[in-house]
Amino acid sequence: MTVSKAFAKDGLLAQAIDGYQPRDAQIELSKSFEKIIKQKQLLIAEAGTGTGKTFAYLVPALLSNKKVVISTGTKALQEQLYHRDLPLIIKALSSKRFSALLKGRANYLCRYRLQINDDAQQITDKSLKQDFKTVRTWSTRTKTGDIGELTTINEDSRVFPLVTSTIDNCLGRDCPDYEDCYLVKARKKAMDADLVVVNHHLYFADLAVKDTGFGELVPESDVVVFDEAHQLPDIACEYFGERFSTRQLLELSRDIELEYRTELTDVKQLAKVVEKLSRVGKDFRLQFPIDVEKGNWREKAIIEPFSTHVTKVEETLQFSYEVIKNCLGRTKGIDTCFERITHLRAVLDKVNELEQLDASLWYETTPHHLSLNLTPLSVADKFAPIREEKEQAWLMTSATLAVNEGFDHFTDLLGLKDYESLVLDSPFDYPKQSMLCVPRLIPEPNDREALSSLINIAKRVIKASQGRCFLLFTSHRMMNMVATALKKQLDTDILVQGQCGKRELLNLFLEQDEAALLATGAFWEGVDVRGDALKCVMIDKLPFTAPDDPLNQARIDNCKRKGLDPFSYVQIPQAVITLKQGAGRLIRDVEDTGVLIICDPRIVSRHYGATFVKSLPAMKRTRSLDTALDFLKA
Amino acid sequence: MSAVHFYLFDETYEQVENVPAHIDFACRLAAHCYRQNQKIFIYTGDQTQANQVDEYLWQFDAQSFVAHNLQGEGPKFGSPVEIGCEVPKGSRQILINLSPSMPDFAKRYPQVFDFVPHQEELKQVARERYKQYKQSGHQLTTEPAYPAQ
Repeated sequence: MTVSKAFAKDGLLAQAIDGYQPRDAQIELSKSFEKIIKQKQLLIAEAGTGTGKTFAYLVPALLSNKKVVISTGTKALQEQLYHRDLPLIIKALSSKRFSALLKGRANYLCRYRLQINDDAQQITDKSLKQDFKTVRTWSTRTKTGDIGELTTINEDSRVFPLVTSTIDNCLGRDCPDYEDCYLVKARKKAMDADLVVVNHHLYFADLAVKDTGFGELVPESDVVVFDEAHQLPDIACEYFGERFSTRQLLELSRDIELEYRTELTDVKQLAKVVEKLSRVGKDFRLQFPIDVEKGNWREKAIIEPFSTHVTKVEETLQFSYEVIKNCLGRTKGIDTCFERITHLRAVLDKVNELEQLDASLWYETTPHHLSLNLTPLSVADKFAPIREEKEQAWLMTSATLAVNEGFDHFTDLLGLKDYESLVLDSPFDYPKQSMLCVPRLIPEPNDREALSSLINIAKRVIKASQGRCFLLFTSHRMMNMVATALKKQLDTDILVQGQCGKRELLNLFLEQDEAALLATGAFWEGVDVRGDALKCVMIDKLPFTAPDDPLNQARIDNCKRKGLDPFSYVQIPQAVITLKQGAGRLIRDVEDTGVLIICDPRIVSRHYGATFVKSLPAMKRTRSLDTALDFLKA
Repeated sequence: MSAVHFYLFDETYEQVENVPAHIDFACRLAAHCYRQNQKIFIYTGDQTQANQVDEYLWQFDAQSFVAHNLQGEGPKFGSPVEIGCEVPKGSRQILINLSPSMPDFAKRYPQVFDFVPHQEELKQVARERYKQYKQSGHQLTTEPAYPAQ
C-alpha cells in the first residue's frame, strides 16, 4: 500500500469517507512526508487552512509500520485528532495499528492524593466540598481516570490540584497506589502503542526530562509529527528554562502539613516549617504592587527589599531542609517533600545567578503569587542536538509557519539546519471569498484619536455584519475601552472575553444571532467557526509583542548580540505569524466568505507592510471601508 | 528649475482594470522609483483621484508592494510615497503630477513626471500644462509611454 493509492480518486479514503475529494496539496504533503519517513529527515511544511494536512500526515504515518508520536498544540486538538480524525483514517486503511492518547499528568486522577485529602478532612469550603464529593463518586467508575470526563465541574475548580499530582508531589514507584495509577497506565498504553497522540507541553516535558520516570517515549519513537508547529519555539523556551514560584512554596507547605497531621504528629517542629513556608512566599509577593506585572529580575534582585526577601526564602528552605532531614524514611510523602526542598533550593540559586549572560531573568506576579524565571536566550543549541542525535523522521507543520515564504525565522530559533520545506497553498479562492481592508485616513495606533476611530469603525462593522464578527485586540486595555463604548452606543449584544470561560463565550456567540465578540490573545488562535456565523474579523493593530514581554526581550537581546536587527529578525516574523493566525479565523471552508479589517495604517505606509501583505492569504485588497462593508452585505 | 519629463500615450496603451492608462503608468513609475529608495509625491486633481491612486497601489501584487499614504494619514513625515490634492509641505526628490494644471510648487522638486494622455480633451489640457512648464523655465523632455510587459 502506498500513499498515492490511498488518496486516489477511487482509493481507500474515497471509499471510506463520504464526500472525500482528492486534493493536490494534500497528496503532495503526504508523498513528501512518506519520503521523509524513509530517509529519516526533517520536513517543514506550511499547509494553509483547508489543505487537509491531518489526513496528509496520518496516512503515511500509519502505513509506515514505525512507532509514531504526534504532538499537537492543545488538549482540545489532541482530542479532536484522536477521537475524530484518527478513527476515520484507521478505518479507511483497515489499519491494525494500535493507538493511544496521552495527556499531561495534571489530567489524571491521583488515587493517593484523593485518599489523603479525604482522610485529612481539611476542606471547609462548601462548593469545594461538593466538587470533591463528585470526584470521589466518579473515581469509583472511571476507566481512564481522565478528569476531562468530569464535565459538571468547572475547569478551574480548586478541587483538581487536590486530586491530581504534580511532578513535585508524586511518590512515583513508592506510591501505595502505583499499581493502579491512571497516569502509569496511560503511559504504559502509550509505550505499547504504535501511534501516540501527545501535546507539545508533554513532548517537551518528556524531552527535558522534567518528569521523572518518563523520558522514554520520545527516544523510542521513529517518527514525530508536530502539528501547530509554530508554537514550538515558545514552548521550547519555557521547558529549557527554570521557574521558581511562591506557589511551589505554598504547595510544599500544604503537603508537609498533610504528613504532619496524619503520620508525623510527633514532630512538632514541622508545624513551624509549615507556617514559615507559607508565610515567606506571601511576604515576598507583598513586596510587589497589587496589580500583576512582569519585569527584569536582574534590576530588582540587587535592591531592597527584594534581596532581603530572597535571603529569607533561602533561610526558610534551609531550616525546612534541616527539620525534614531528621524525618527521612518515615513516610514516602515526607521523603518526596525533602527532594522538593532540595530542588527548590537549586532552582532559586539558578534564577539568582545574575551574572550569567545567556539567559533572561525575569519575574512575574499573579494576584497571589510571584515567580522568578530563567529563560535561555536561545534554545537552538539545546534543541538542535535532539534533532541530530536521534535517527528520527520529523514533520513540522502548521497553517502559519512561513514568513515571506521562508522558514528562517523559525529554523533559526530552533537551530534546525538540514531540512526540506514545502509551502502548500490553501484550496480556498481567497480573492473571491475574502477582502482585506485597511480603512483610509485613520490615525496611527499610538495617536490619541485611535480609540474613537476604532469605536466608529467597530460600530459600522457590527451593524453591517449584524454582529457576526470578531473584534480582536492586542491589549486588554483597548478591548475594555472599546467594549464599554459599544455597550453604551449599540443595542447589539457585546460579548467580551473574560466575562466567562473561552468555550462558553464561543457558545454564546454561536447561539445568539446578533452578538459581536471582543477578545484578545486566546481568540487569535485555534477558534474554528465555519459558515455565516463569522463574516468579519476586525483587528485593532498589528500584533507586535509588547516590548516588556520577557521572552521577547530575551530574543531581542540575543539578536542584538549577533549584530542583527531585532525588528526585522524577531518582531516582524512573530507579528506576521500572529496576524496570519488571527486572519485564519475568517475563512474556514470553501463556501465561507468574509472581510478582514486591520485598523492599522502602518501595514500600508511602512516598508515592512510588504512582509505582512506577502505572508497573508491573497485576499482582495481595498482601502475603502464602504467597499468592504458592501462585500459583507452581498 | 526642475527637469520635467512628459510621457506621451497613444491608443496602443491598453486601459487596465478601470484605471486610466496614465494613472496605471504613474503608479508603476512610482513603484519603480520607490524601489530605488526615492521619495515621491503624487499630486492629484482631487480627493477622488487621490483615493483611486491609493486603492490601485494597495492592490498591486504583493511582490510589488509600495509603502504609501494619503495626505492626512501615515507617519509624521510621510511614507516613501505620499498622495494628495493639497499643496505638500516640505520637498521630495520626485513629483508625479496627475492634476490638470502645472503645480505652482513644481520648482521645489528636482524631477517632475507628467503625462499626455491619449484622450483628446485630456491631451488638450496636457498641452496647456506643457506650455506653462515651459514658460516657467523648466527643462522639458518627452518620451512615448510603453505598457508594462
